[in-house]
Amino acid sequence: MPANEQPLIHVRDLSVGYGRNPVLANLSFDLGLHSFHAILGANGSGKTTLLKTIAGILKPMAGEIRFTVQTPGIGYVPQRDSLDPLFLFTGREVAQMGAYGRATPGRFLAKSDTEKLEQLLKTLEATEFAHHPFTELSGGQKQRILIARALLTNPSLLLLDEPTAGLDPSAANSLFALLSELHRNRQATILMVTHDLDLTRQYVPQALWVHRGKLLNGKVTELASPERVGELFGIALQ
Amino acid sequence: MNTLQEILSPDFLLRNSVYVSVLVGLISPILGIFLVLRRLIFLGIALPQVSSTGIAFALALHILAGHDSPIHDASEQTMAFVGSLSFTLVAVIVLAVMERRGRGLVEGRLGTLYVVATALSVLMLAKCPQAERGWLNLLKGELVALSLRDLVTTSIAFVIVCSVLFLFGRILLLVSYDREMAITLGKRPLVWDLVLYLLLGTTISVSVLSVGPMIAFGFLIIPPLTAHRIASSMKQLFLLSSLIGGLSAIVGFWIAYHFDLPVGPTDISFLAAIYLVTVIFTRR
Repeated sequence: MPANEQPLIHVRDLSVGYGRNPVLANLSFDLGLHSFHAILGANGSGKTTLLKTIAGILKPMAGEIRFTVQTPGIGYVPQRDSLDPLFLFTGREVAQMGAYGRATPGRFLAKSDTEKLEQLLKTLEATEFAHHPFTELSGGQKQRILIARALLTNPSLLLLDEPTAGLDPSAANSLFALLSELHRNRQATILMVTHDLDLTRQYVPQALWVHRGKLLNGKVTELASPERVGELFGIALQ
Repeated sequence: MNTLQEILSPDFLLRNSVYVSVLVGLISPILGIFLVLRRLIFLGIALPQVSSTGIAFALALHILAGHDSPIHDASEQTMAFVGSLSFTLVAVIVLAVMERRGRGLVEGRLGTLYVVATALSVLMLAKCPQAERGWLNLLKGELVALSLRDLVTTSIAFVIVCSVLFLFGRILLLVSYDREMAITLGKRPLVWDLVLYLLLGTTISVSVLSVGPMIAFGFLIIPPLTAHRIASSMKQLFLLSSLIGGLSAIVGFWIAYHFDLPVGPTDISFLAAIYLVTVIFTRR
């Protein structure tokens, strides 16, 4: 984390994993407020496990994750294939779920939440297809709805799990551009698991690189340069 | 048409049975939607069986306690209700705890529960022929004459179920759809799972007591499956499931009464016919 950046999260001696087996152990790092990080690494290296632990979905096996704000909100964007197509929600209904944390039992959404949702859908250019069944939307459209849902939670931190997986190059590029815009214009703090090195180099300033149980934290230009990637994987890249 | 007018008449001898069937037909599918969407259909067949084991236990209690005749003053129906409800609630709590531990296959647990419940019912009633006859009638879905008290009990149970669904249905849907999102919003999925299971347990208990386990399962599952083929939104899914269930209860009762058939199998056959039509004429 750059020295002049105010921290949002302190992670200390964190071990994450499933059951009794830690996938990653003794991690310590800080995430700055308004920072934009990509979590990079090979398949099965523990990227998603780390993201889910920061989100509070998995309990840390050891260590602590401490937020510097009093009531940290998490806007979580899951892998879109994890959502069961049997549910007949429209895109708008899925996005509305972002306000469920504040909704009063038995009541409709507050007017302010409805207005905010419409604003978000507009910002994310999702108004046009929000009334369609969620399962019938394209991959990119689904991601926009899920990002709207995450932003509706009023998050301190936006967490995304492989948002471009399965998207065509154009949709993936447009999604990275959108996230970059959210980071720049809305000062959103973003942490995203991704495999897309090219787009990460283009749009994301910082990276957490998970490699052989260790975590490297630094600038994307340094950590994800073709030479460094070659070093990390022990291969020569063209 | 005369038969329909007869069974809908306030003077009809079995009117309470008709009203309870319609209530079961209207409300059970709403809970069944959660089972279908969560892909927990086996739970819908195992729980009614457990509920009927509770009824068998209540009916055979005096024999199990070493008496020839009932040792309690409470009516058989009340005992059966208490037996049905307590067995079902214990089963849902045990299932929720096992779910939390996450060991073994869900299907394996539910399949075992189903077969053990059936075996226990038969064993408990083996020395009590009269109770066994009543239980088998319930199992076959024979028409049962219900009192005004049964109707009131069923109505109260369903009002409670519907009120909880109205207040917290949104959270129950969120937890069913996206547990991880629910956790990040500060919801506790296991608590909400338990709420859903308790609603299911209550609905199944009152349903099994009045219409038997077969029809209880049928009304839980077939209307949602049918509605899912034609609905294009969650609202439509809930509305259509409930309508199909309620309508089938009336029409099934009408056909059964007119042709002197057991109500349960008639209702289920009618529901299956509607389902078949939607399978043939829809693409989903």
